[in-house]
Amino acid sequence: MNTFAIGAIAIASTVTAVHAETAVTQWDQFSQSGISAAGPAMDELIATCAPALDGASVLRTIAPSIGIRDSYRLAVSAGKTPDLAYTWPAASVLAGYARVGALAPLDGYYEQYGWDHINDFYRGRNSYEGALYAVPMEQDLMGVYYNKALFAEHGIDLPTTYTEFQAAAETFKSAGIVPVSFGNRGRWPATNTFSLILGLTAGKAAEEAVLFGDTPWTNDSFKLAAESFQAWANDGYFPRGFNGVGYDEANALFLSGNAAMTITGTWVLQDMIRGATDIDLGVFMLPPMEDGIEAGTMWGEGSQWQLSASASSETQDAAAAYLNCLLGDEAKQVWVQKANTVVIGTTPEELAEWGADPVVQEFFTAGLATSENNFYDLHTTLPESVTQVLYPELQLLIGGEATADEFLNKMQTAWELAIANGERWIP
Amino acid sequence: MSSRIAYLFLLPAFLLYSVFVVLPILQVVGFSFFDWDNGIIGQFVGLNNYSRLGGDGVFWAALSHNAIWVVLTLAFPLMVGLLLSAILAERKSSTIRWMAAIYFIPRTIPLVVAGIIWGWIYNPLFGLLNFILDGVGLGNLAGAWLAESNTALLSLNVVGAWTFFGFCVVIYLAAIQSIDPSLYEAAEIDGAKWWRKFRDITVPLLKNSTLFLGLYAAIEAMRFFDLIWVTTQGGPGYATEVLTTHVYKTFFLVGDFGYAAVLSVVLLAIVLTLSSISFWVLRSK
Repeated sequence: MNTFAIGAIAIASTVTAVHAETAVTQWDQFSQSGISAAGPAMDELIATCAPALDGASVLRTIAPSIGIRDSYRLAVSAGKTPDLAYTWPAASVLAGYARVGALAPLDGYYEQYGWDHINDFYRGRNSYEGALYAVPMEQDLMGVYYNKALFAEHGIDLPTTYTEFQAAAETFKSAGIVPVSFGNRGRWPATNTFSLILGLTAGKAAEEAVLFGDTPWTNDSFKLAAESFQAWANDGYFPRGFNGVGYDEANALFLSGNAAMTITGTWVLQDMIRGATDIDLGVFMLPPMEDGIEAGTMWGEGSQWQLSASASSETQDAAAAYLNCLLGDEAKQVWVQKANTVVIGTTPEELAEWGADPVVQEFFTAGLATSENNFYDLHTTLPESVTQVLYPELQLLIGGEATADEFLNKMQTAWELAIANGERWIP
Repeated sequence: MSSRIAYLFLLPAFLLYSVFVVLPILQVVGFSFFDWDNGIIGQFVGLNNYSRLGGDGVFWAALSHNAIWVVLTLAFPLMVGLLLSAILAERKSSTIRWMAAIYFIPRTIPLVVAGIIWGWIYNPLFGLLNFILDGVGLGNLAGAWLAESNTALLSLNVVGAWTFFGFCVVIYLAAIQSIDPSLYEAAEIDGAKWWRKFRDITVPLLKNSTLFLGLYAAIEAMRFFDLIWVTTQGGPGYATEVLTTHVYKTFFLVGDFGYAAVLSVVLLAIVLTLSSISFWVLRSK
């Protein structure tokens, strides 16, 4: 993760029509390895979708998935936003860009191209004051990647209850195997894990009561979630020194067969599948952690396409047509087959028909089964000012240096300040 | 040449300095008096942004970490550098050249690279340090060096010291070689041993070099960023947060440009004060 953090923008330009009059500048995060390693699909689709540009060319810049968030914010502040960008997060941060007039409203294009596969949940996360400002593309879900051979070797069936999950973790720990590979040096991975634990402990309604209502962070169900996360760390579910282990290192630990599970998202599917040469990879969904909580997982759009308000109308039109091609039926198949990236609206049946990797099918079949109940990703739902408190406070919580109460009090203070500053996003 | 012509020759340098140094600084100071929204300047808020400093616990933690860094840097690399250079100065000149070059190598390594190298050494999963401790039967001392609040800052300071002590050796060596050898000869005639000569001749006569290195180290300690960012990003929690990482997060991650400007002004004031002291002290010597 750290390697992504400072000034690490790699530039790759693909000019499809040298003499084109209009160049659409595109920033995306589809590199060839690591998180969002969908580069091969993007390369192919630029060629496929070039005709949709009507003579315009694509001038492309690849920015690492974690870093593009910061690069884009700087571009907004400098008034130099690219014509078309695939960046993150949506919701509160996107609303901030829309509020200062950096983004072009897209309602007309939604109507023109009939992007009806993007449902109200996603539309809400990509809107500000009733207007749409972005087009979400892929579906991001959290799940538990597991090593099938290790589970079989220790006679463990896939956990269907939280108690069974805990028992499995204890069995692996007793056998000297790291139950859950986890690296939080980059500070953001804990946010995803906590988002999942929060949903499975408090439930979606309790999350909404805090995120969109007046319930404080210091409520009992959030406290239970914070205590559960801390208990995982205290009980030795994670590798030693997890706050000093990188996200990629944790994935490598799992892929090398030295950890039984790792809990992360579909954004790393491509890398996981490529890297699973020594293990038989499987995926399951973490079961609800409290009675009365419905099954579900953390989900979101991952990233979204957005158009610059400063781009000319011709450029915006060309970019929207190109975008429509990137979201089309033919493209959906390329995203799946070349990048293990699943576009919103893709069904499990389509995944099977297109010969998607079994792990991809497993992941999305399980994740989409609970789509009505899936939980919020704190990372993309909270304003940045709160996220920057959440990062260090989660490190302290799971590092055993703060209690659940201390953690939640800090979050509540940051939350109240963000609300007072008008930073809260409500769909 | 009249002074008017002399000033004319200075004009290009003055213009460049004004455009690239003075104006940006004034701009940052100006930014600190405004409200910002996602990089877009808002209304004038006077000293409101400055009033947040008192209640910003991260700022005070960062400032204290910078201060600790200064003290540790003065304590270790300077002392080690002084001692090593005194020992080295008595060797053959070829040995001095080789050893000084070897000691200086870490100084030539960019801090980002040093951070990556030491990140691997300290890594709790496969780090060299824990491997060695395990190997020599001291496995109970193995730890998650950068992942625990009580060891993270100190562990990073070791890296800082590693990159700085060679510089101290080179500066001290140059100074030692300028000391009149007759002073040592006279001391030897009086029966002084190595330690006595070191304490009563070398150390006092290296006062200026020590002063220079100390102030230089203090200024550097306020400015460093890359080492922290590539290793811990200020964590775990706020254990290795320093002023520069706090500025970076406030500006680039939160997008709170007004308060980031305030933090930058404070940082600038500290560095300018240290630089002025340095300039004044060295000039008076």
